[in-house]
Amino acid sequence: MHPLTPSKDPAPLTLPSPQGGEGGGESGYGWFPYALIAPAMLMLVVVALVPFLYTVYLSLHEIRHAQVGDWAGLANYRTLLANPRFWHSAGISLLFIAIAVPLEFGLGLAGALILNQGVRLRSIIIPVLFVPTMMAPVVVAILWKIMLAGSWGLLSYNVIERFGILTGTSVLASPSLALYALVLVDVWQWTPFMMLAFFAGLQSLPLTPYRAAAVDGASDLQAFRRLTLPLMAPLMAVIGLLRLIDAFKVFDTIFLLTGGGPGTATESTSLFVYKTVFDFWDLGPASATAVVIWIMFFAFANGFYQIARRKLGAF
Amino acid sequence: MSAKRRMWMSLLAIAMMAVVPGSAAAQGWSYKDAAKPYAGRSITILDEVTPLQENMRTLVPEFEKATGIKVDYQLLNHFEVISKGQADMLSGRGAYDAVMLHSPQMGLLLDAGVIRPIDDLLGNKALTNPGLDRADFIEPAADSLTKFRGKTYGFLNWNYNVVYWARGDLFGHAEEKTAFKKKYGYDLAPAKTLQQMRDIAEFFTRKKGEKLAGQTLDSDFYGIVMEGIKGGTTLWTVLNAFVKNFGGDIFDAEGKPTVNRPENVAAVKFWADLWKFSPPGQAEYSLIDVPTVMGNGIAAQTLAWSDFVLGIDQPGKSKLAGKFVYAGSPANAQGKKRSAETEPSGIVISKHSKQPEATYLFLQWMVDKSTQQILFDKSGGAGVPIRNSTWALPSVKQSKFAGLYVAMQESLKYGSAKPKAPKLFEVMDVLVGLVQEVGLGKKTADQAMKEGQEKVQAICAKCTL
Amino acid sequence: MRSSRVALFTILAVAWAALAIFPVLWMAAMTVKPEALMFARPPAWSFTPTLEHLHYVVAEGFAWSLVRSLMVAGLSTLLIVVIGTPAAYAFARFPIRRRDDLLLFVLATRLAPPVALVIPFYLIYARVGLLDTYVGLILAYLTFNLSFYVWVLWSFCRDLPPELEEAARADGYSRTRVLLHVVLPLLRPGIIATSVLCFIFAWNEFLYAFMLGGKAVETLPVAVPKLITSQGVKWGELSVVGIAALVPILAAVFVLQRHIVRGLTMGAVKG
Repeated sequence: MHPLTPSKDPAPLTLPSPQGGEGGGESGYGWFPYALIAPAMLMLVVVALVPFLYTVYLSLHEIRHAQVGDWAGLANYRTLLANPRFWHSAGISLLFIAIAVPLEFGLGLAGALILNQGVRLRSIIIPVLFVPTMMAPVVVAILWKIMLAGSWGLLSYNVIERFGILTGTSVLASPSLALYALVLVDVWQWTPFMMLAFFAGLQSLPLTPYRAAAVDGASDLQAFRRLTLPLMAPLMAVIGLLRLIDAFKVFDTIFLLTGGGPGTATESTSLFVYKTVFDFWDLGPASATAVVIWIMFFAFANGFYQIARRKLGAF
Repeated sequence: MSAKRRMWMSLLAIAMMAVVPGSAAAQGWSYKDAAKPYAGRSITILDEVTPLQENMRTLVPEFEKATGIKVDYQLLNHFEVISKGQADMLSGRGAYDAVMLHSPQMGLLLDAGVIRPIDDLLGNKALTNPGLDRADFIEPAADSLTKFRGKTYGFLNWNYNVVYWARGDLFGHAEEKTAFKKKYGYDLAPAKTLQQMRDIAEFFTRKKGEKLAGQTLDSDFYGIVMEGIKGGTTLWTVLNAFVKNFGGDIFDAEGKPTVNRPENVAAVKFWADLWKFSPPGQAEYSLIDVPTVMGNGIAAQTLAWSDFVLGIDQPGKSKLAGKFVYAGSPANAQGKKRSAETEPSGIVISKHSKQPEATYLFLQWMVDKSTQQILFDKSGGAGVPIRNSTWALPSVKQSKFAGLYVAMQESLKYGSAKPKAPKLFEVMDVLVGLVQEVGLGKKTADQAMKEGQEKVQAICAKCTL
Repeated sequence: MRSSRVALFTILAVAWAALAIFPVLWMAAMTVKPEALMFARPPAWSFTPTLEHLHYVVAEGFAWSLVRSLMVAGLSTLLIVVIGTPAAYAFARFPIRRRDDLLLFVLATRLAPPVALVIPFYLIYARVGLLDTYVGLILAYLTFNLSFYVWVLWSFCRDLPPELEEAARADGYSRTRVLLHVVLPLLRPGIIATSVLCFIFAWNEFLYAFMLGGKAVETLPVAVPKLITSQGVKWGELSVVGIAALVPILAAVFVLQRHIVRGLTMGAVKG
């Protein structure tokens, strides 16, 4: 095998054929596979599809005070799409994930590469590194309030006032910095997740191609570029996709740390929806928002899935 | 009956009142008799968790014992009470027979018609304690909250209010006093007017390394701190402690938005100017941060919720405990009408309740004079009164918070419930973002109020019910 | 040379971990810090510890919230393992008609933001009487965890060598027996890893627990805001609860870390 060819099979263009020796062909398995997926599918239909269809139903009706009224057609969607606050919040959310996820990705990869250098004490370091991901977002928000609160926060006092960096500023209260403070919190919480996933990926890489590359005199950097990256691509795709979806949904920390302010500087889509639902009880437009977000993400996830399957052999 | 005997009898009656909360033995009416038809029923009450309500919870078994009504008295945090109480009432789930409501919620819930009026119950002699004494409830809080179009909706049961809170130790410092008098031409004292509050804020704003009350500061010190977060109660303080004192308001008499009135602009400008003397974190400060900043000696004065003071001005809670002074929310020196931010909250019966009578009996018992007295006695005189008679209780008068109570009493004279506007939360949400930007210097008061008027008009052309 | 390189990276990793955990340690210190020193300026690095906060948390019955959280997170994870494992296996092993569409459907259930779904849930639950019940919350948690579980475990299943199953079939094992006695033991690390992650997500979940739960099913994250009272924030008590919520998970991760590291690969990298 050529040293710089990944050891795994090339990405399949079609669905993998059934594994297992016998018979082949669908009929050979009868109802068995369907019986295996039935409980899960049934559950998802009940707990996910039904509420979702109900949301669609709500979004097509006039809703006053949580009481479903007349058929409204697409009126709620028109209201939503004409609302600059929705577009603004979508922009904030996209900006948030555009900064946070690549940072988490890059730092996670860097951390994983460090851990992969035969680091000692790993059985202690790994659980400790994983702590932020284990914490409830509610607690994380309170924790960072304690760190970042203007004047009385620990970091505010020790960094801003002691060393005069950013004097006269509170990062959470600054229209230009608040979003980055929230990014920092997200990065703190989710980089460990990425790091461990990538570390696990690195651990399970095959050794043969690396040995061959070393024989060929490839540098570490070359090996990384030509072996590690392509081999890790499927994993990176899955992790990246899951993280993007979750980062878009970020809510608890923003809600507790800035409430969407100052002004509208940190009003993410989740926060916008929360307000429409819980503060304004405007369930029509709120349901429409849910549907629009869902469609956006479905299109994105679907596209991602198809591309990742073809190009990276993921999934 | 001899005088001596009468005295003994009345003492006995007082003693009984103290033992069995809510028994109005004197008039021959009792919770026990009133509750006879409802004994054995179960009711569920949703209230907000505060130390006072936690004490209330310990009294509930006595009500249950006296009446035979089973009470599931649930306490939730501020945001939870709003979200869950509202969801329960609007959706028609009806798990709660009574729900604690903050005054901004009233508009939406009245509009939805999910609050049960209690006039028929109040008029029911068998149910209503002759000693209920509704005239004793603190006004204008009670009526502005519970009365609407000739009907009564629930009872006032919690009386949040904003007071002026300052560092008495700094105000009493000889050097500071002299310097202040020299600079402003009047004596340094707790601010009676907004203008004095501004002067004091300017005077006490010091940089790290400067002196404060003879001590060299090792970090910046601020003349004033206020709530400035998006959400919370930021906007209400701006509106009621500033805008209304300047003669402005966000709605006119018919409920149409009047956000860009010149008085409003002037008031928001005045408020935003105070941000120069405030900690840089003010735009993220919620009603939680303000007491923390005060308790840690970072600012000289504030306008803050008086119930939060109770959690700070106590030995062991802050090293400055005992050094604070309080006053009613300041007036505008040039203003005609005084206003203060208060948040009268009520406990109302849900339309979906299947036990309105039993629930009514419980609510009545909660706000009963004797229950209120026991509550304040139990908490060592820490709480916020809903009745005028509470001010005179020995446990309140002799409490270590006596000064705070004087301040509360004054603020409560000038505050009332929020306008009953179904879209009030949405209006508030738009405006709070805008005033925040004025405070941060991103927009002028003029621009912000103009934008606010447009946005509020888009939400509601006529906002109040 | 080699060992100095290891030492360098070890120091780097330790420094990284120390930096990441510092805020958590600070919070841990707050659990025993007297109220008046909580935010002292300059910060109080040494103080006489107090058990006041712990006593309050114990007296207020937060331990019950911990138990309820264990019930909700544990039972929902168990249910997910029971119904998700066969599904993941079937997706990996058998030709299922419209497999791609079904898998995308599974992923799609995770896409909508919970803030938007929670009210439809509430309205439906209010009608069928599932509010404030364990069943209601456990079902709701399927929306984000079942899809995660199926996707991750599916990747694991694809990594299983089919030869063992074929051999078992040749020995006359039924398909069900193959699944129970051959596949399940092989999948164990994957199942443990993935279910620990699902457990963490369920354990920390706030919004559903808050709206769909209630007095009977009050989980730990929902109990946390109760410490933000109108007479101030009980910072010490908040810290106690925050750290207490971390301890069971941290313990589990310590014990199961090998599996978790493998689980996190999503099986997407084949060795």
